[in-house]
Amino acid sequence: MKESDSIEALRREIREWLAASLPKDWRDRQRGDDIPGFLAMQREFFAELVAAGYATPHWPKEWPGGGKSLAEQIAIFEELARAGAPRMSLFFVSLYHAAMTLVECGTDAQRKKHLPAILNGEVWCQGFSEPGAGSDLAALRTRAVRKGDHYVVSGQKIWSTLGHFADQCLLLVRTDSSGPKQAGITFLLMDMKSKGVEVRPIKQITGDEEFAEIFLDEVEIPVENLVGVENEGWKVAQVTLSSERGLSLVELTERMALSLWQLVDTASAGGEGFSAIDIATRREIVDISGRIEALRAMLTTLMANRIAGREAIGDASILKLAYSRLSRDFTALGLRLGGKAALCDTHYTLGAGYETGNWMFDFMNSYQYNIAGGSNEVQRNIISERVLKMPREKMA
Amino acid sequence: MSELDSGIDTEELRDAARRLLSDKVDRRAPWEDRDGGRAEIESAMSDLGWYLLTIPEELGGLGQNFDSLAPIYEEAGRALLPLWPAGTMAAIDVLAADGSQEALTALQAIAEEGHRIATVILPADASLQSARISMVPGADLATHLLLIPESGDACHLLAADAAGISIEVVETWDRSRSFADVVLSDMPADAVRIALPESLALARAHGELALAWDCVGAAEQCLTETVDYMMGREQFGRSIASFQALKHRAADHKVALELARSLAGHASAAYAQKSGGWAEIATQARLMAAGAFRSIAEDSVQLHGGVGFTWEYDCHLFLKRALVNEMLDGAPETLKDRIAEALLERAMSSRN
Repeated sequence: MKESDSIEALRREIREWLAASLPKDWRDRQRGDDIPGFLAMQREFFAELVAAGYATPHWPKEWPGGGKSLAEQIAIFEELARAGAPRMSLFFVSLYHAAMTLVECGTDAQRKKHLPAILNGEVWCQGFSEPGAGSDLAALRTRAVRKGDHYVVSGQKIWSTLGHFADQCLLLVRTDSSGPKQAGITFLLMDMKSKGVEVRPIKQITGDEEFAEIFLDEVEIPVENLVGVENEGWKVAQVTLSSERGLSLVELTERMALSLWQLVDTASAGGEGFSAIDIATRREIVDISGRIEALRAMLTTLMANRIAGREAIGDASILKLAYSRLSRDFTALGLRLGGKAALCDTHYTLGAGYETGNWMFDFMNSYQYNIAGGSNEVQRNIISERVLKMPREKMA
Repeated sequence: MSELDSGIDTEELRDAARRLLSDKVDRRAPWEDRDGGRAEIESAMSDLGWYLLTIPEELGGLGQNFDSLAPIYEEAGRALLPLWPAGTMAAIDVLAADGSQEALTALQAIAEEGHRIATVILPADASLQSARISMVPGADLATHLLLIPESGDACHLLAADAAGISIEVVETWDRSRSFADVVLSDMPADAVRIALPESLALARAHGELALAWDCVGAAEQCLTETVDYMMGREQFGRSIASFQALKHRAADHKVALELARSLAGHASAAYAQKSGGWAEIATQARLMAAGAFRSIAEDSVQLHGGVGFTWEYDCHLFLKRALVNEMLDGAPETLKDRIAEALLERAMSSRN
């Protein structure tokens, strides 16, 4: 069987599975004003995905659902997006960042303890960024001091996605300040129920609380929770950061493509409160649809290059800039077409793509893509310095 | 992907095109009243077999699809090629799709007798007996014209020097290529009729894609030369390429360029395979590429500082080509209006 045939077969299989298994009412059950409902719905659908093997295609093949090629992983994400399935927001860090870090850098004991737990719904968050270390992540200052068989950790982490629901945390700490900032960083696994951990959700401009701050006051972390080698955690962190391989952008872009036509459909049909599609708007739709197609084509090329192991420097930065700007312009179009109704509709759905029609929420939310994973300004530095070979800024 | 069916490698084609054009094209010539050697370049292109690439094999061609032309158009843009091969190439697609005996004879003449064609889109309100179609790319160098009425009536293929036809060279701001008005006062009796309903869509999409790739190639060259200039230009004791405000502009241009390249690639594949929406996506590809090229060329003038405003530097060569590439066969708004309906309808029907 040719590879493209097997991918087609996989796509058909997922479509059939989704037709039978996707709860029709999930959007009502993931409302922004009903957090317990959101958590329950996420857990329910996650358990179904795990059982069907669609949650773990990127895991090694000895795990259920594992051992799939990147092309198959892309197909799974695309099919989930096309079917309008809920995004697995609560488990994304667990499935990708935590699991892949443990697979590549963890000990056998760590893998045995956590990988089955992740399949059972253990939620992970990332404790990387700090108030003083955002784009300049290596400047992090949260201190860890080894005392016997424990590290004692104090400091503050920020922008931990869904950290307030997490059971475990991938934590970057400083164990040595004497050398260059990348040296002296250590990678630990932290139980969020440890004494001295305090989590405060961050209320965002959307009104939603998707991120959290984590305060650490003399938290004791057992030495067996060290990942890799002490003071060499920066290397482990790179594994964590590259673990999702662009799949979330594949998913989001696919969802955007679908939502554009849904938006146009609703507006053309004179949806309640919607602005009419005038000539200027039609022209803008032509532009936005071209940009979405360009982004999809760019993603297809990038993912193919990744599969072939020949990704070029800066490709991910180019993609991220393109996506973040398109996301803002697209949701701004939705907001304008949505008219007053969009201004009054303060309810929103969590873990959705762009299809819910909560345009103000999606527009406000689009600002996070300008910052998350390295601000757009940092991406521009990378493109100008590493792709166009312009002189580097003098770094402190 | 780069290996075509009959073993023609698109990357080899690209290399050959780049070598030939960097050797032959003297891009300053038209701006310094020197002969740019257009005839010599044209015959070198013919010798390399470019005009045979997409002619069906049974007529002596190589039977390739658009994938083989995309790298040539991109290199043409990079070199600021002073010729319009796309007229003949688009005509080849129309004639091959038509497949009538007359069309096959015309294709053979392109392959064997060196016929070179300008495609001329006749506005819906113009008559074959009396019309002036202005600024037709490369009409002055064509041996034949393919008249394609926007009305959907049959096309006519005729000799450029036939009675009733006059070709009047026009001077434009973009000296890097030639344009002519085509004036029709009578339709010659021996004009060949090509009654293929898809002619207009094919010729237009081909033209759009050729322009899109021209923009991608030229924009990349313009950006490269601009960054090179910035690296060497020192002010306040440092290279201006080290200023973050300027680096970030260059980075944004690079993003726009790569998006345009991605869309052009996707649109070319859609055209080659005639997959869903190929006509509209070709126009979208040109819109995006022309927009990227224009903004890179405009900013190139600014990033060069004072010398960017001089005739001596090459910024204006790119800028003028960019503005023409953006306006040919309709300004961006016209193009968007032209495809909006079909695009929306197709998208909605695919959703339901």
